[in-house]
Amino acid sequence: MRTFVLLLAISSAALGHVGSPDVFYEGNAGPYRLLVAVRPPAVIPGVAEVEVRSASPDVREVRVVPLRLTGPGAQFAPTPDVARRSTDDPQFYTGSLWLMGFGAWQVRVEADGAQGKGELSVPVPAMATRTSTMQKGMGAGLLALMAVLVLGIVSIVGASVREAQLEPGVAAPEKNRKRAAVVMGVTFVLVCLAVYLALKWWDAEANAYASNIYKPIQMTATVASGGGLTLNLQDTGWFRFSKLDDLVPDHGHLMHLYVISAPAMDRVWHLHPDETDPGAFAMNLPTIRAGRYRLYADVVHANGIGETGTSEIEIPSIAGTPPGPDDASGSSTPITQADFNRVVSPLSDGYRMVWERGATPLRTKRAELFRFRVEDANGKPAEDMELYMEMAGHAAFVRDDFQVFAHVHPSGSAPMAALMMTRDSSGKHNMQSMTMDSPPAEVSFPYGFPQPGNYRIFVQVKRAGKVETGIFDARVE
Amino acid sequence: MVGTHWDISWHRSIGRDTFWTPAHIAIYMCGVLAGLSCGYLILSTTIDGASPLRSAAVKIWGFRGPLGAFIAAWGGIAMITSAPFDDWWHNAYGLDVKILSPPHVLLITGMVGVQFGALVLILGQMNRGTAQARAKLEWLFLYVGAMIVVCLMILIFEYAVRVYMHSGFFYRVVSITIPGVLAGLARASGRRWAASIVIGIYSLFIIGCLWILPLFAATPKLGPVYQHVTHFVPPEFPLLLIASALALDWLWQRTAAWRPWLEAAVSGLVFVVVLAVVQWPFASFLMSEASRNWVFGTIYFDYNLHPNSHYARYLFAPLEKTATQFWSEMAFAVVAAILTTRLGMGWGNWMRRIRR
Repeated sequence: MRTFVLLLAISSAALGHVGSPDVFYEGNAGPYRLLVAVRPPAVIPGVAEVEVRSASPDVREVRVVPLRLTGPGAQFAPTPDVARRSTDDPQFYTGSLWLMGFGAWQVRVEADGAQGKGELSVPVPAMATRTSTMQKGMGAGLLALMAVLVLGIVSIVGASVREAQLEPGVAAPEKNRKRAAVVMGVTFVLVCLAVYLALKWWDAEANAYASNIYKPIQMTATVASGGGLTLNLQDTGWFRFSKLDDLVPDHGHLMHLYVISAPAMDRVWHLHPDETDPGAFAMNLPTIRAGRYRLYADVVHANGIGETGTSEIEIPSIAGTPPGPDDASGSSTPITQADFNRVVSPLSDGYRMVWERGATPLRTKRAELFRFRVEDANGKPAEDMELYMEMAGHAAFVRDDFQVFAHVHPSGSAPMAALMMTRDSSGKHNMQSMTMDSPPAEVSFPYGFPQPGNYRIFVQVKRAGKVETGIFDARVE
Repeated sequence: MVGTHWDISWHRSIGRDTFWTPAHIAIYMCGVLAGLSCGYLILSTTIDGASPLRSAAVKIWGFRGPLGAFIAAWGGIAMITSAPFDDWWHNAYGLDVKILSPPHVLLITGMVGVQFGALVLILGQMNRGTAQARAKLEWLFLYVGAMIVVCLMILIFEYAVRVYMHSGFFYRVVSITIPGVLAGLARASGRRWAASIVIGIYSLFIIGCLWILPLFAATPKLGPVYQHVTHFVPPEFPLLLIASALALDWLWQRTAAWRPWLEAAVSGLVFVVVLAVVQWPFASFLMSEASRNWVFGTIYFDYNLHPNSHYARYLFAPLEKTATQFWSEMAFAVVAAILTTRLGMGWGNWMRRIRR
């Protein structure tokens, strides 16, 4: 059997998404609809920045507090911080929170206003992703001070030998001067040795910290000529979260796999391989044209931390099996021919998906709601919408160089499995589950682009028993 | 030292701080005051040719002043240097969750420098003063010496908590840190019960922190919160070093004619044995129900102390797995105590001869 082996396993940050570390969430804090963005720190312990936008003007105060997602640390919250209200926009609040340890956290947001109090929680992973190097100016300043301290202590020791034990007014004899010179030389050597050992200690501390820096889960992919896809996740030996036998289902599946043609991005599949062994997944691919494909595999650990395995693979032409009930596919023009003003994407049966984009240019680091409406050929909102894997829709935001990938739900970018773990202050589930039989024709996704560039947005909804994919392009400044 | 214990308590109770907490200001004011006062002393002695201190000054880099002023100023510069270094450390590796980090060691070195400078400043006056002036200055000298003990105990604070008090490691760490200082201070002061006075001041200082800090309200502002904290969390009850200090003072009143190494050997052994005899059962007491009150302070826990930890469950942490390992550590403790005592004796003899 001929087997095609992966060509590239990307090691970019893949902490539940790729290159998109910020967490976005939209939900109800009691009677108030809030859009929350949490920007985790790059070093741990470090400060997470929190932004909260209230949809209604009757919120008087917003408070934010971090606590562990699960376990004893989830029971007692520290004193919440009052978020600062923007002077320009009274419905916009910001706050800063210390995340003191690695792992799964939640940021609890408490809103107080005319309709009483309400709260919601946003799962946030805390992982160190970088170390800083010292700025040249700071380094030069500290080096100068260190030189003063080294030479100072040598001179002080010299003076203590030369003069400190002489009666007042007595000049230092030659014997003392010679002895002082010898002692100063020895002291200089000893102090330099101490500085050297201190630098080695600094190196050891820096290396110990570097060993805790997040190492993305690795994934290898192989595909047989018959269309059998095999994915193997690999333990990076990183910290204690890097387990492969603790994956939990996220809205019904252990893995959500996006297969995107590269570099054109003109074909996409959202698939759900089955686990065959811990960390090993397999499935028979649907019919696929030969070519090169980028794979993004989302999994969630039992502690609520989501990770994305990435790989790029050459796939032969496959006359595959029919897609599963939750599987989806879509196609569009190559990204090189992207029309960044197009807001309509055709669906089957004459239906179409419309991006209610607005006139504001898209900018990085700005949390906003991406709204999409499904309508028939006459522009009438679709009335036969269905839940797609317990959601009104799924969206993937992918930059054209494949260095940014985010799988987002109407509630936001946190895994649903992690949202299910959050509790409010009374200990009740915080998750707002989708219970409606027929969702509305409009679906929205809270998200913020992490970096500028050209993005393709894949939006998947279910209508009349069929999963449909709308594809849009966005230029982000 | 008040600022330092306040700051440690702040981190254990509230967690979060800024540079401008009162505790930080107290700490860094120590460096600033030392730098300014000693800088003034040095400049005035250098510039003023008629200064009474001029004849009793040392000369460094063209400046003149008492040796202690130079040492304290050096300590102040080290403390101030540690501030931007520590700030950068937080940005690079996150907020400190431990005391022993390079910038903190620089800070503590600076503090000890300031205290040692003050000690030498006093010694210069003491050793060339009249008997009456010396008697007064001796108390100041022993107080500053006690603050050095408090400072050094902060350096080893993470290894000297009650969960380790039934481990040889605990006795080794204490033996490396304390006997040399006691021997040096006792020699330099010449008082009969100098070591006991120093440790008495240390004990009263820590008991003061233990009883006063919990009177003030504090709630955690960082997570994870594992313990319900409503007031400042104080340091543990002081180590019963007073027993060792009393034994050493009694011993040193009888060993003036001994050879130094013999004196150091007996002193080191006495220090470790007496400490173990009193601290071991006292540690058992601290783990018992009877100690769980404000007097002994075993009711206080850091806000982020995990409920499954040995500390929270009043259990000793077994650092040595076998009896051989334990006795090796204890032997190491005795050897360390002997060596540091001998070094301390030499340091004390040097301090007795300080005139400037």
